[in-house]
Amino acid sequence: MEIKYEYIVCRYGELVLKGKNRRDFINALLKNTKQTLKEFKALTYEARHDGLYIHLNGEDYGKIKTLLAKVFGFVHFSGAIACEKEIDKIAQVALYLAQNTKAETFKVLARRQDKRFKMTSDEINRAIAGVILKNTMLKVDVHKPQLKLYITIANDLAYLMEEKSPGAGGFPVGINGRALCFLSGGIDSPISAYLTMKKGLRVEFIHFASMPYTSKQALDKVKELAKILAVYEGEAILHIVPFTDLQLAIYEHTDESYAITIMRRMMYRIGDELAKRRHIKLITNGESVGQVASQTIESLDVIAKVADTLVLRPLAMMDKSEIMTLSRNIGTYEVSILPYDDCCTIFEPKNPTTKPKLDKCLYYESKFDYESLINDCLDKIETIKITNEIEDEDIF
Amino acid sequence: MPEIYFDSASTTPLDDEVYQTYIDLLQRYFYNADSLYDKGVKVHRLLKKAREEIAKLLKVDPSELIFTSGASEANSLAIKGLCFKKKKGHIISSVMEHASVYNALKQMERVLGIEVTYLQPDLDGMITKEMVKEALREDTFLVSLMSVNNEVGTIYDLEGIKEVLKGRHVLLHVDMTQAIGKIDVDLKGVDMASFSAHKIHGLKGSGLLYRKRHLELEPLISGGQQEYGIRGGTENAITNILLAKTLRKALEKQKERYEHVAALKEYALIKLGKIKGVTVNATKNDIAYILNFSTTLKSEVLLNALNSEGIMVSSRSTCGSRENEPSRVLVALGIDDTRAIRLSFDYFNTQNELDYFMMVLEGILRKYGN
Repeated sequence: MEIKYEYIVCRYGELVLKGKNRRDFINALLKNTKQTLKEFKALTYEARHDGLYIHLNGEDYGKIKTLLAKVFGFVHFSGAIACEKEIDKIAQVALYLAQNTKAETFKVLARRQDKRFKMTSDEINRAIAGVILKNTMLKVDVHKPQLKLYITIANDLAYLMEEKSPGAGGFPVGINGRALCFLSGGIDSPISAYLTMKKGLRVEFIHFASMPYTSKQALDKVKELAKILAVYEGEAILHIVPFTDLQLAIYEHTDESYAITIMRRMMYRIGDELAKRRHIKLITNGESVGQVASQTIESLDVIAKVADTLVLRPLAMMDKSEIMTLSRNIGTYEVSILPYDDCCTIFEPKNPTTKPKLDKCLYYESKFDYESLINDCLDKIETIKITNEIEDEDIF
Repeated sequence: MPEIYFDSASTTPLDDEVYQTYIDLLQRYFYNADSLYDKGVKVHRLLKKAREEIAKLLKVDPSELIFTSGASEANSLAIKGLCFKKKKGHIISSVMEHASVYNALKQMERVLGIEVTYLQPDLDGMITKEMVKEALREDTFLVSLMSVNNEVGTIYDLEGIKEVLKGRHVLLHVDMTQAIGKIDVDLKGVDMASFSAHKIHGLKGSGLLYRKRHLELEPLISGGQQEYGIRGGTENAITNILLAKTLRKALEKQKERYEHVAALKEYALIKLGKIKGVTVNATKNDIAYILNFSTTLKSEVLLNALNSEGIMVSSRSTCGSRENEPSRVLVALGIDDTRAIRLSFDYFNTQNELDYFMMVLEGILRKYGN
């Protein structure tokens, strides 16, 4: 039988935080959790020092669980049943939980926050274990129990939990400011955005589109990725840069082997300027050392020189296989591998240089008025809001 | 004169909300789902979303669903599509199947020389797991059975049959047309399943074949890239999109409607018991939606007489209503198929309607029965 929970107890991550930081952490986490779970209208919340207590008020824990696992800032959470702080009542709930699991062995782990409770933790453990032993077939196993029965004697009630679901970890989104994240449509950039958000940054996406060389589907794919990622921050902003004219100018005025390097420098310039205009202090992207020609140390060096804004590369030292595993886990992989060309693949030169020189970059860039083309790009940026809400819901 | 519809196993009226959405979609999205401009892409996305929603409702993967023109096509695709791949071997089915399964099998016997065992029901009307087990041969590659019978309403022991086939290299196809939206269906352990929209207040010309991932079928309709290349032809996008809502609503209301219909059937059985010359054709485990009974009158005569009083019923499967052949299903159950009547209920039927029906029936039997 499925266990009917009344509460969810969510434990905070990054417990090293103290004082005001800790308060900010909890407040941001509460706000983000409410935003993520806003469709469940009956929920009520109480942020306590040991965790966020969510009262289900009849809402379906199963549905909430998947969403809650996407809120950054919790290490783990559990469905809980509460009762009055009387040992008989606690035993009753404990027995209910024990009877409704498939486990054969168990262990009781009691903890008192309310030290006025007349039994010690150890006494509670023994009393409850005794009741379970007497009324079920379960056996005690203190080393590797299949069922861990957690009992928290809080100040108001006793809370009983039997499973821990892993939380998303990290910091609550927004607590560390905002970042501008390059989003191409490939496998890497969504993961860099994910890791950026996990560090508590609210992400705005920037995408370079080369219509009509790239299709509407390619842009839809980027929106789809932004939508999957938006779940982690409630609502995301996507800046779409019309990049075609600038890209054509690059190919006209530079040697083919330098085209990608110059193109990346232009992207960084546009990103840098957009970040300044929106008071964003950090740019992140999916660059990973050595992955392609434009991601050698020499390339990364000459490319990043054009930006004043701090640039961090969450994937810099990760293996492709690690990135792909993460991608599969968060659900962007299936979308990322859809076969639509993006602006990087469409003008792919045959022999891109892996060791670009700065003076050569400057030489090619001196041959055309890229600044006005960049301004043109910036003026024509289309900014849209991406939410995780379902469109056309009434159709289904 | 009243208009009383006791024939929902034949087809059902369209759900209001499905109808409204239909009108709305027809006006806005006539575009080809495979066109590359915005509007076409939008239709494509709605279709993709619909497939995902249906997959969620059935607890399967979206790539395992093929939209068809109905359950008959789904049955044909499942059986023939598989037979065209296998080319030879043995199939187990039963005489209780719908014509779209039975005749597809007959065709495969004729054309490909596939061998088919048609199981006969036991005295309770059941096709049991023991029968299936006994009929299994070395070269058996498919078992095709329905989950609920459309003429008498028997609910078969699907779980038992799954058990028998577990661990064997025999595929299981289940025609779930009369089950979906009425009783819980579980696709675990099922390799292919057929569904229809118009039996659950959806559109006619709309159906679905579930087929387990990696199960290869030869297309019956050759064409382009639609439906994973298994079913060609421009997507009937709007119809397919609507199936998501149709199915969602049917499943949401399943329990509530079943309770209502079960109460009606119980009431009807009590009332019929009091009418002289009526025999109820019950099997061991019948669905509440279908009630089959025989009278002293020929089915056709009773049907006409009821019709002139505004009551719509069937004498057998509607798909065989214009044939002169006896009903395989009723004959197999030892029922005189020339005197049988099928009532099939729905959520909108009432006890008052049943009262009227019983009064009319009694009158007709008194006047013409012998």
